[in-house]
Amino acid sequence: MSEADILQQVLSFVVANFLYMRRNKDLKEDDSLLRNGVITSLGVMELVDWVEETFGVQVEPGEITEQNFDTARSVAQFVRAKSAAMAAT
Amino acid sequence: MCGLAGILRASGRTPSSQSPRDVSLDSLARMAAALRHRGPDGYGFFADRRAGLAHVRLSIIDLAGGAQPLANEDERLVVVFNGEIYNYVELTSELRALGHTFRTRTDTEVLVHGWEEWGGGLFERLNGQFAFVIYDRLRHTAVLARDRFGIRPLFYADPARHFGDLLVASEAKALFASGEVTAEPDLTGLDEVFTFWSARAPRTVFGGIQQLPPGCWALWRDGALVTRRYWEPSYEASEEEPTEAVDRLDALLRSSVALRMRADVPVGAYVSGGLDSTITSALAADASPFSLRTFSIGFEDPHLDERPHQRAVAAALGTRHAETAIDVDDVAAIFPAVISHCETPLVRTAPAPMYLLARLTREHEIKVVLTGEGSDELFLGYDLFKETVLRRFCARRPESKLRPRLFERLYPYLGHGGRGGELWARSFLDASALGDPLASHMPRFSLTSRIKDFYRDEVRDALAGTDVLADLRGDLPAPWSSWSEVERAAWLETTTLLSGYLLSSQGDRMALAHGLEGRFPFLDHRLFSFAASLPVRSRLRGLKEKDILHRWARERLPSALPRRPKQPYRAPDAAAFFGASRPPEYLDELLDTPALAEVGLFEPSAVAGLVRRCRSGRATGFLENQALVAVLSAQIWYERFIGSAPEGSALPLDDADVLLGDSVHAPVDSDANRETWTEK
Repeated sequence: MSEADILQQVLSFVVANFLYMRRNKDLKEDDSLLRNGVITSLGVMELVDWVEETFGVQVEPGEITEQNFDTARSVAQFVRAKSAAMAAT
Repeated sequence: MCGLAGILRASGRTPSSQSPRDVSLDSLARMAAALRHRGPDGYGFFADRRAGLAHVRLSIIDLAGGAQPLANEDERLVVVFNGEIYNYVELTSELRALGHTFRTRTDTEVLVHGWEEWGGGLFERLNGQFAFVIYDRLRHTAVLARDRFGIRPLFYADPARHFGDLLVASEAKALFASGEVTAEPDLTGLDEVFTFWSARAPRTVFGGIQQLPPGCWALWRDGALVTRRYWEPSYEASEEEPTEAVDRLDALLRSSVALRMRADVPVGAYVSGGLDSTITSALAADASPFSLRTFSIGFEDPHLDERPHQRAVAAALGTRHAETAIDVDDVAAIFPAVISHCETPLVRTAPAPMYLLARLTREHEIKVVLTGEGSDELFLGYDLFKETVLRRFCARRPESKLRPRLFERLYPYLGHGGRGGELWARSFLDASALGDPLASHMPRFSLTSRIKDFYRDEVRDALAGTDVLADLRGDLPAPWSSWSEVERAAWLETTTLLSGYLLSSQGDRMALAHGLEGRFPFLDHRLFSFAASLPVRSRLRGLKEKDILHRWARERLPSALPRRPKQPYRAPDAAAFFGASRPPEYLDELLDTPALAEVGLFEPSAVAGLVRRCRSGRATGFLENQALVAVLSAQIWYERFIGSAPEGSALPLDDADVLLGDSVHAPVDSDANRETWTEK
């Protein structure tokens, strides 16, 4: 799966589950999910669960960082990199 | 405990065909009927041409002679009173020595003589929980007053909207029952609920209806009401803890409990399993000549249930204990009734278990209970205070990775098994600038405000010029700048959450729904002043809450009493409705698009998304749980108060215990044999 496909899925998931009440808000790939209150800490856990289920990757506690989960693009890049690493082993 | 209502006609106003001139006994009887749950033991009326008062009574002191309304010796002052004046014995002696003649042995009578003697100096002499109205027949004026913390409610319709007339009552529903006050929403009041958990006095969720703020009294004269403050929470921490501080605390706690055991009926106690209610129960058991009755509520959900702790406390104190447990179906079943009593939308279901606990207590024929409410505000028990300290601690070393990890120790039950990590701590650190006077409360206020994401666009537009946070920042008291950060947090907590929500929606309204009176030893103002004079570290030592109270408990409570870490009190929210074995029928009716459109507060498509997430079991966070409770309770609130006519039943005058005044012989209803100005 390409990074662009993953990115689209992440954006759809976030909008459907975290932004359904904010109808006028347009989520961009590089918008911060954490700083603008799109996702709460519990929401991050839901996002992590969904990433694991949907893309079959295992997220280590140390990987739940702002670097990996702050924007839809960073999530997509993280998933892509994890999938590639799994495929390589 | 009781309920009161009144209609006072402004003198000298221009007669209008649209407004009644005299006081209809029927209106008073309907207002009293709306408050009957607060006072099931009796009722009475006063009425003359220009003023009427109604009272429903829960008999606790002077069971035979305590009926109301009550007049002074020359029958010029008439009072209706809801609450207790605990130091009435002392005040009665003082007033007798000054030449006043008492006709009853009630705390009520202290109010009329005290007002005659001291005027505005009366209120600070009172130790108690009270709301009352004193009507002066000669001057045609009225005095309203409310206790320091707002334990007892007092609502009134803005006289400016009623030709200067004053309509006043313990609950807003009685104002609507008068037939003279129309229920309409106050959008700013609702916006405050969805920020602070309740409207901030004097504002309410009803347009044109206000509440007398805690610690205030008001004089109604010439068609205008002027409010004055006689007390406000204030802090004057000393540098060092006095050597005798624990002894002083001991004396104050015992005195406070002893005063609150004064009653002509047995006094029971709530046991939550935590330290505060353990203290009040232990001292009550000591002070009681009988075996103390204690009551507690648990949850079928073992994550929320505290019954094992509660039983252990009861066993150690040797009380006669009764308990009940609720499951999710119970919350859903009683929730509409809970909203009817609270008269406001909610953001948590937590009042519902208190409703059931009050019912259980009343089934055991106990009319008065002591609870531990107030201790966390006085002695800095809440996690919010530790959070305030921690955020400051982190801000001093922003590069530290270790300091933010302390949040996980503070909220282990929220830490997602350690997976939350740095992101989760950040949510606290980023919540607001530390320079904001509301910094301590901004994590809660911001989180609660997320409910507003569900507003309809029209509501958002209507509220465009409204900023309830700015309003609060503008209302901070003069000594604010001299207080420490946690003391400011304590003031905010006391004046917003305690008065507006805990003592009201979770307190007065749930207990009085069943004719039960709560009493709160920690909210004795002497104890408050004592706590506020201690160094902050005597209350919050590092991250250890209520330090001096724990030290006192170690020394003075039976060692057999269980010790355990503090637990926040929580009840199921969204799960109460969507996790129920039979989801309540009203759920679909109230949350569908036409129902939401009729109320007009929340956007149907957004609520549909919320309902979908709730049904699939994904709405597990605070954000969506509180949104569901807010939307559902607002829909119920609107349907009960705005969208339907008030109940029209009236209490029959023939059965009244008291009929005072010239107009009670109205030819229609009254008993021809009853004499004016006599009490039955």
